[in-house]
Amino acid sequence: MSPESVDLYNTFLAILALLSLAASVGLLVYRFARGREAALSLLGDSAVWLAWLVAAVATGGSLIYSEVIHFIPCRLCWYQRIAMYPLAIVLLVGAIRREVVVRYYALPLSLGGALISIWHYLTQTFPSLEGGACDPTNPCSAKYVNVFDFVSIPFMAGAGFIVISVLLAFYVRTERE
Amino acid sequence: MNKRILAIVGGVVGLALIVLLAISIAGETEVDASIGYGDPVVTGQTLPVYNSAAAEDVAVGMPGPEVVGADWEDNEVTITADGRPKIVLFLAHWCPHCQNEVPPVQAWLDAGNLPDDVDLYSVATSTDRLRPNWPPQDWLEEEGWTVPVIMDDQIGTVAGSFGMAGTPFYVVLDGDNNVVRRISGEIGTAGLAILVQEAQAAG
Repeated sequence: MSPESVDLYNTFLAILALLSLAASVGLLVYRFARGREAALSLLGDSAVWLAWLVAAVATGGSLIYSEVIHFIPCRLCWYQRIAMYPLAIVLLVGAIRREVVVRYYALPLSLGGALISIWHYLTQTFPSLEGGACDPTNPCSAKYVNVFDFVSIPFMAGAGFIVISVLLAFYVRTERE
Repeated sequence: MNKRILAIVGGVVGLALIVLLAISIAGETEVDASIGYGDPVVTGQTLPVYNSAAAEDVAVGMPGPEVVGADWEDNEVTITADGRPKIVLFLAHWCPHCQNEVPPVQAWLDAGNLPDDVDLYSVATSTDRLRPNWPPQDWLEEEGWTVPVIMDDQIGTVAGSFGMAGTPFYVVLDGDNNVVRRISGEIGTAGLAILVQEAQAAG
């Protein structure tokens, strides 16, 4: 891909990430303002499909970064991939089979992934968290992407994990309901 | 209504991805792969890789490699046993620690803190056009970097010969090009001042 295409791609994903975070805030406000039943009625079965869509776009997006654009994932990138890639499969199966129990399998992954993304973002913001020197092979403190001066790859991943977590935590029925 | 929202969101995202793919296929531009690299010649023995955790650096006292290289404007820059103590600073354009280190060091130099009897050189290494802040020459020019720069090659020959394990990486050499000290990481101007004193003491 040309550098201009990469910039466009980065900007597109950054906007998606910001929209995801905005949606997360909106969904949380709606849930706590209107109550659980109203939240469950808002999206219905679509909540798991939406969560899957986010996981699928995040998975595809990260694969484009490594396999097409040839960014090399660092250690923390791999941990986030370990959390996100199974979500794309687990949520798809759960959505197709309409099994609400999928939230119990997926939430630990999305919450764990969100924590790793936050740590990775902090490492990029405060490189000293990774030590005083850069590993020449592939440091996690290096920012391959930096849209609007603050949206990096772990930011985008974190936004994905957060919106998936909000959808699964508050917009999917529990097994007992 | 819920499925309609999902279909709309999915459709918009899918359409945007297709448009992006089309643009990327249509708009390929060639990037000069040689930008940011040099063709330095290194002679002498390779130093052991620097181990910051070791109690003592085994390279201290060993003869350092001699380098004949050039900056991005093809001005020759050499590191040799010229009778003058010197400090060699290895920098990577994408490394946040190097990006933090360069401005204060340049300000320190601008204030005239480098003594006349010690030379400071830099090596732009680990260059990668896919990583941020590329090419290194643009970054260093923006920072007003006045230290002579050797552009390392694509496999990091100069860095490897000095045993670089991370950036920024400082190597202090005496006038006979023997290693006085090596240190990796941000040390700031206070640390650089100490290295200068060590270089002067080594002669």
